[in-house]
Amino acid sequence: MRQSRTDISAADVTPQVRLVGVSKHFGRIIANDAISLSIMPGRIKALLGENGAGKSTLMAMLAGRFKPDAGHIEVEGLRVDFDSPRAGIAAGIGMVYQHFMLVENMTVAENVLLGQEGGFALSPARMRETVGELAGRFGLALNPDARVGGLSMGERQRVEILKLLYRESRVLIFDEPTAVLTPPEAGALFAALRAMSAEGKAIVFISHKLEEVLALADEIAILRKGRIEGEFLASEVANPAELARRMVGRDVVLHIDREPVAPGPLVLDVRHLSCAGPGAGPGPQVDAGLDDVSLSLRQGEILAVVGVAGNGQQQLVETVCGLSRPESGEVELLGLPWADFHKHQDWDGALAWVPEDRAGLATCRTLDLTDNLLLTTRQGFSRGLWLDRARAREAARTIVREHNVQPGRIGLQAWQLSGGNLQKFVLGRELLRRPRLLVAEQPTQGLDIAATEAVWQRLLEARKSAGVLLVTSDLAEALALADRVAVLFRGRVTGLFPVGDTAQVERIGSLMAGLAE
Amino acid sequence: MRLTIHKREESLGWGALVVYLGALALALLLCAGLLSLYGKPGLGGLLILFRGAFGQSYSLTDGLAKAIPIFLCALGVALSFRMQVWNIGAEGQFALGAIGATWAALTFSGWPGYILLPLMLLSAMLAGGLWGLIPATLKLRLGVSEIISSLMLNYIGARLLEFLVFSVWRDPASFGFPMTAEFSPGGLIERMAPGVLGKLHWGLLACPVAGVAFAVFLSRTRLGFELAASGEGERVARYAGLPYGFLVLLVMGVGGALAGLAGCIETSATLGRLQPTVLTGYGYTAIVVAWLARLKPVPIACTAYLLAALRVGLEVMQMELQVPWSFGSIMEGAILLFVIAGQFFLTYSVSLGRALPVCAGGAGETAATGEARP
Amino acid sequence: MSPELVIALLAATVQAGAPILYATLGEMISEKAGVLNLGVEGVMAFASFAGFIVCHMTGSAWLGFFAGGLSGVALCGLHAVVCQVFHGNQVVTGLALAIFGVGLSNFFGTPFEGQSTQGFTPLAVPLLSSLPVLGPVLFRQDLLVYVCYLLPVAVWFFLNRISLGLRLRAAGEMPAAAAAAGLNPRALRILGTVLGGFLCGLGGAYVSLAHMHLWTTGLSGGRGWVAVALVIFAGWRPGRAVIGALLFGGLMAFQLRLQALGTNVPSTLLLMLPYALTVLVLVFSSARAKGAGKEASAAPAALGVNIEPEV
Repeated sequence: MRQSRTDISAADVTPQVRLVGVSKHFGRIIANDAISLSIMPGRIKALLGENGAGKSTLMAMLAGRFKPDAGHIEVEGLRVDFDSPRAGIAAGIGMVYQHFMLVENMTVAENVLLGQEGGFALSPARMRETVGELAGRFGLALNPDARVGGLSMGERQRVEILKLLYRESRVLIFDEPTAVLTPPEAGALFAALRAMSAEGKAIVFISHKLEEVLALADEIAILRKGRIEGEFLASEVANPAELARRMVGRDVVLHIDREPVAPGPLVLDVRHLSCAGPGAGPGPQVDAGLDDVSLSLRQGEILAVVGVAGNGQQQLVETVCGLSRPESGEVELLGLPWADFHKHQDWDGALAWVPEDRAGLATCRTLDLTDNLLLTTRQGFSRGLWLDRARAREAARTIVREHNVQPGRIGLQAWQLSGGNLQKFVLGRELLRRPRLLVAEQPTQGLDIAATEAVWQRLLEARKSAGVLLVTSDLAEALALADRVAVLFRGRVTGLFPVGDTAQVERIGSLMAGLAE
Repeated sequence: MRLTIHKREESLGWGALVVYLGALALALLLCAGLLSLYGKPGLGGLLILFRGAFGQSYSLTDGLAKAIPIFLCALGVALSFRMQVWNIGAEGQFALGAIGATWAALTFSGWPGYILLPLMLLSAMLAGGLWGLIPATLKLRLGVSEIISSLMLNYIGARLLEFLVFSVWRDPASFGFPMTAEFSPGGLIERMAPGVLGKLHWGLLACPVAGVAFAVFLSRTRLGFELAASGEGERVARYAGLPYGFLVLLVMGVGGALAGLAGCIETSATLGRLQPTVLTGYGYTAIVVAWLARLKPVPIACTAYLLAALRVGLEVMQMELQVPWSFGSIMEGAILLFVIAGQFFLTYSVSLGRALPVCAGGAGETAATGEARP
Repeated sequence: MSPELVIALLAATVQAGAPILYATLGEMISEKAGVLNLGVEGVMAFASFAGFIVCHMTGSAWLGFFAGGLSGVALCGLHAVVCQVFHGNQVVTGLALAIFGVGLSNFFGTPFEGQSTQGFTPLAVPLLSSLPVLGPVLFRQDLLVYVCYLLPVAVWFFLNRISLGLRLRAAGEMPAAAAAAGLNPRALRILGTVLGGFLCGLGGAYVSLAHMHLWTTGLSGGRGWVAVALVIFAGWRPGRAVIGALLFGGLMAFQLRLQALGTNVPSTLLLMLPYALTVLVLVFSSARAKGAGKEASAAPAALGVNIEPEV
């Protein structure tokens, strides 16, 4: 077992928070294994690791949501035992989650003061004043009376930060803070974080984005398979590649051998598509609609749609997959107009969709794997009115075997599978349908390296007989797999170019932020 | 020491029976307590109940006779509950079925049985089905909660039945009692063997037919599968292209038809004419049965018999101890409450202290943490 | 119809609407906390008996009134335990409670069938009761009605200007956010259910003590279900609940008067009216909600959805 360094900075400064040999497991899976870490005031520490390495569990224990199964936590030198999030907050530890914990139907001020109202009665005037003053002090512009449901992602994150500042948290923990921000918003966040760090707050942020970590952090800790694999100062690292190597233990830039495939007939043709976003109404959209979108996809190619989440990807996918009617413009799938195609769609040889929400949308939690297989393939296993369950069971077993879905029993219900395994199953199911148009959303989110490689191979295989629309926020994935890239910003296509066009690729960040083309 | 809760990976199997019996015992204990509060012997009263429900010579046949309408209604309720469509309207659909049957019996009075009876059954199922389609349509077109609309239709259906019996269909020879004329012999469902089998009648045949159709539909047909899958919610239904709207209409319509069928059978076999007393709350008991039986056909049959037997026992209690009929509602409500609480233990296991890890994980993915936890 | 009759009708409307208002506001608090309590009918039924029997035995109408409230607390406490502790399905638990509560009230009430009680008598407010029209309609009612003039404001104030109310709302909109803020959403939901139960119980007791002044089986007559529908109709806003309560109060008063006058319309059809109106009210609410778009849905976002146990 490797010894981890517990103190990098000056020995005479007490760590704000210290983890000593902390372990946590869920059932038989060990999420954190004897972790020792120090979080120093006035420093920004990055916790780096790929999905599934145990970062979130560690932070959840710091926040008081879980109790460690072994080891202990110290705050300002004294041992503490958090039995609830309230205790974590009281100890000065504040968390900003990746999925914001905000009540949409309440105002900014109500959300900030929730739980810390400071009295029996609430006075809107006093609340407005308090929140307004706090926001101004740290440069986080917000209207205290605004309804959170109408705010953009960046603004919502500011509310979350305000919550922590109001509680005078001394340790601020951010989980993947820039996942929902455009590059300029991310820059503003970094400035705010540096300001807070200068005031003596200890900042920890979890990320798997290497450039970001190098840009912001003072100290870096790498988490792999539940253990601290290394801890060092950011200044000791030369470049992202070296960081990547340290993270995984090998060259992580996945090399995919792409055999060229000749493009075939048009499978998807979108011309001047516009529509309002899901949940249309007054106020700024959180999930944007589409504005004059045109793109085309041929069999044999992969088109990656990139952009910060919430810029129209959901609407595009829902329109292509038939859930949402195009308001203006034309959409043609496999040569047929939208309405004709979706009126009577064959179960195989047509469209298949691997959604981002694999647990809530692509599968039914309480049904077993055979039934989940039948969800989109039932026509293929029926004869008239009757369902051939025996044949479906065989097919389910085959998928589980070929795609290495763990655990390998088809009698399990969907909720008993991890997100990654569920994703492999869903992909297997949709590929069974021999689609000619495959829509894949965030296909490798939550998967480890081996599984990601496997999925990438399957997608490349699939393009031999289909056109693949790959919606992803992982730029590395997009650039590795795609033939062409489309960038979405506020529902508009701000860039559409082949992956070989390096000049455009350099500018992807600006295109994602809608800056001058 | 603190309580740790784990979601069960495998079902309890026979342990489930223990949970159900435990819940039942606790509920009955509470009822015994309430009985003694009322001034009647608590445990003694329950003994009389059980004697009546299972011990008498007529217990079995009486219980089966009462179980028939409960079973049919419960099948209908279970069908819609599987889709998370809350059909509370079985009682009203039952009433409409009785009305439909009566209309046919009175209009075609005197016709031979092999024509009249099927007409009555058809008319009852149509009436009940239509009554069930009303809340379904309101739900689909306008998003109106089917819980309240189907419930209100219960009250309206009961009033409609009273209205018809008091005015249009009142039997002039009834000396002021609210009832219709007796059905002609062709419209009656006969007892199987009046001396030997007591109140048991040929309506029993409807049960295996309905039960088998229910089971086959759900497990073997594509539509049945689509129904089960739709229970997860509209989002998944849209993703998988499930005919959600059609299924809602189907479950409420068929559920209503089944309750209507029960209404026809009950009116024809037990009363031989239409009276407001045909409504004894079978529709509500059916809801209790469906939920207790976790919406599965064989458990529904057993539970329907159990609650029917309870009613038989209640009749004996009424006679011997003058216990009011409302005690039955107390029992049903209490049993359901305790069983709902008990069902917690079927899905989750509770232990004291902390669980210990069995072996180190290897896969690089953490199962329970995944994306579900921020 | 003469002006005297109209005024009498309006006064009866206010009085008939009062129990419905109590119950609607009670259910509203519960739903704002995220708990759909369908057992209101059972709660009102049992509370009406509890109120009656306590008044009958102690001679104090106020004691009876509070007994009704407390019995509401007890029954809704059952709902809270089954749903928040044992993760029970809220819809079915509510139905079970309705069956149980109605059974309880009819069971224990059988020996007292038809008996009357002193209950509450109208108390004219000095000065105000002499106003033309408004005087007899609004200010010659019993004390409990005067209390319910203040109730919508009190409930609004509680939910929007008291920190506990804010926390309750958070538990009903997004329990995860409440938990992240250091609160206990489950405890908050239990509180909301029980608080709502108190008000529903008061409404039930009102029916036997102030509205009918007697006890009989089936006294609550579906008012509990009306209350659930009215919460939707009111868009979960206390002020709008008054409109709904007055609507139903008016209908019930009108219905009674019609029957007393002896019309040609058969009484059974008249009895259908409140239930039909309930459905109409729901249809209206849904149509209005569709027209307004989905911008800010009025229903608490986590209504009816249980909080997953921490595994």
